[in-house]
Amino acid sequence: MTRFLPGLLAVAALLGARPAAAQDSVFGIRGLGFLGEPISAHSAALGGGESMFDGSSAVSPASLASWRTLAGWAVGAQSERTFNPGTGAVSLSSMRFPMFGFAAPVGNRLVIGVNVSDYLNRNWDVQRTDTVMPRDSALPVTDRTRSLGGVTDIRFAAAYRVSSRIALGVGLHVLTGSVQTAVERDFPTDSTYHTFGQVTETDYHGLGASLGLFVSPIPRVVVGASARINGRLSEINPGGNASVRLPTELAGGLYVTPWDGVMVATTVIHDNWSVAAPTLVADSQPPSRDVWSVGAGAEVTLLKLFGEVTPLRAGYRWRQLPFPVGTAALSERAVSGGLSFALAGGRANVDLTVEGGSRTAGALTESFTTILVGLSIFP
Amino acid sequence: MARTSVWRNTLLAGLVAAGGCTEKLTTPASCPEVCPNSSVQLADTLLTGADVADTSVRGYVLTSEATYVAASSLDSLKSMILLRFAPVPTQWVQTATDTVQAVFPPDSVFAELQLVFQDTAVHPKIVFYRLPAQFDTTMSYAQAQAYFVDSAVLDTVAVPDSGNMEARLPISVVPAPGDSGVVSIGARVIADSPTVVAFSSGHSLTTAPALSYFVHGQPPQDSLSRNLPDTATFTTFVQSPAVVQPPPGVLAIGGLPAAHSLVHLSLPSVAVDSIGVVRATLLLHLVRPAVGFPGDSFFVNAFPILRDYGPKSVLFPDTLITGVAVIHAGQTGTVEIDIAPILRIWGTTSGDSMPRAIMLGVFAEGYALGEVDIQGRLAGGGGPQLEVTYVKKYEVGVP
Repeated sequence: MTRFLPGLLAVAALLGARPAAAQDSVFGIRGLGFLGEPISAHSAALGGGESMFDGSSAVSPASLASWRTLAGWAVGAQSERTFNPGTGAVSLSSMRFPMFGFAAPVGNRLVIGVNVSDYLNRNWDVQRTDTVMPRDSALPVTDRTRSLGGVTDIRFAAAYRVSSRIALGVGLHVLTGSVQTAVERDFPTDSTYHTFGQVTETDYHGLGASLGLFVSPIPRVVVGASARINGRLSEINPGGNASVRLPTELAGGLYVTPWDGVMVATTVIHDNWSVAAPTLVADSQPPSRDVWSVGAGAEVTLLKLFGEVTPLRAGYRWRQLPFPVGTAALSERAVSGGLSFALAGGRANVDLTVEGGSRTAGALTESFTTILVGLSIFP
Repeated sequence: MARTSVWRNTLLAGLVAAGGCTEKLTTPASCPEVCPNSSVQLADTLLTGADVADTSVRGYVLTSEATYVAASSLDSLKSMILLRFAPVPTQWVQTATDTVQAVFPPDSVFAELQLVFQDTAVHPKIVFYRLPAQFDTTMSYAQAQAYFVDSAVLDTVAVPDSGNMEARLPISVVPAPGDSGVVSIGARVIADSPTVVAFSSGHSLTTAPALSYFVHGQPPQDSLSRNLPDTATFTTFVQSPAVVQPPPGVLAIGGLPAAHSLVHLSLPSVAVDSIGVVRATLLLHLVRPAVGFPGDSFFVNAFPILRDYGPKSVLFPDTLITGVAVIHAGQTGTVEIDIAPILRIWGTTSGDSMPRAIMLGVFAEGYALGEVDIQGRLAGGGGPQLEVTYVKKYEVGVP
């Protein structure tokens, strides 16, 4: 299995180095893009409720303290979506690898790790038809605008188990990435016009820091809190440089195991995305807003398959998205469920999650079903 | 452990399958809610003063180098064909008996010409004339009239609908031994209405006009016979009106001798862009109807120039960035040529050093009757104009 780990990480790194050419939501066109969720497949099955405490998620750096051995993980997500712009439903699909990482204990109390995940996803592809009047003649045109890329959050973090009841974590977030925006105009009915195409690449850079704390005030209960402070996100493209303020994220969570084999957890996150509003307004876009994200889920580990414990999970999540569509606020809700398989005598784990939900902004609705596959290995 | 391998293989197969999914990417826009912030905007501009220098030069293909010879009675073009053949052989050898036989006098002489163009509705005839063997190859249409007289008529033949035309010439057309042995003949067209007939000239692998001498042996081999061919070595036609350098303010394109027009352009930056120019139309204003075979068409090309050496400029060797317009004989008004590929290549890094000049010529030069005369820069209405449709600079918004 140790031979398997480098290969897996290499594949994951390769895939993560270049975002898959697909859009995660048409609403990613607005603002800075579609917000990524740095959570693992098994946290997704719990509606993100356990993301605060999940070592392979990147909500709180303190969660790394949960690892007792070397671990590596990666997530793949296949999403099927239906968007109705008001003129009929359109089916879309995408395949992504939104997160991978690894963690390694250093001594008995310290764990260090790296997590690479989507922060802002700007993959979208839109086509529209129009009629223009060059040379005083009506001319049908087809415009296609594509955006490929986004901003990746590379978190270098360390967690320290102060005692059996307290864990601390700190993280350094490096935001990096690029977006290729391609604009194409075609003149399908008149060959005397030549197709126009232009590709512009924009690079993004930014930094952030996070701090997390877990406390277990009483047995079977863990309370978590984290804060993440971001600097400005710099944009560089041939048109010039710009920067935008990024939000401060505050999160809290509760992890309870009321009975053996049963766990419930919830995580609440607040981001003050309104700090980005002045820059967006200056670019003639609707202002961004502060957003909440709430997730809750439960896990039961009473089932055994092939002699291995097979956790069953279910969850629900709701979140607001910071970039409105016109004057309408955008929100997302989803129910999820999933299970895990332990492999290789517990040295590997596969999480399967199915999530279904919708995004709504005024009269516009996008429904989605996502299948997430998470692979974790513990060589 | 065996079970682990099965799981692992299944997992890997699943990952591979997932990675190979077909993705549907494109969403119809729901504007303005779910639309990109920026959109493509077109703009038009008519550059009336783009032509800052122009000139016409004749002689790229001479009349005697064309692939055809034309006899015309059109109002716009009157022409007569002049043909000179190689010297008539004086002897021939009967190979079976290895006997040398004299050609003169032959039994009969036929002229054979391959038809290139005619108007079958007119049913024209070709009248053949005897010409001096060493006629002046530079004579004009008016000068040639002196030879096209009734006393010099050799034969009059109806033009067939297609294929070869054959005329039986009198034996007297063959010079007696001791002379140069050169036969020269002329041809003109007659018909109930103005028309034009063209024959291949022999240039550029076309079939040359030919004479055939039918001869027989002398006694006692007088039953032997032979057909001796004799192809034309010089072919041309004289025209009226005479082809001359166009007056100031007029640019000539095509014709014979073939003319090129060189036009230097001064363009704003929006018109020289490797991606932003979506349409660029060069507008050529004809000063007279296009000349060509009736009912036929030809091409006027606009070539970008790689190195500007005036009439001997080096053209850019890429047909994909050559502007082309189809011209119909008799066409009037304005000719439009798409030269967007030229402006786009001028906007590239490699094309930036190319002179902003184009060469206008007829395609394929010397292969068909075709000429247009256009307004030049010095004409009252101005020279060639350029209408450019371009995309305004597409701005990528800041975050």
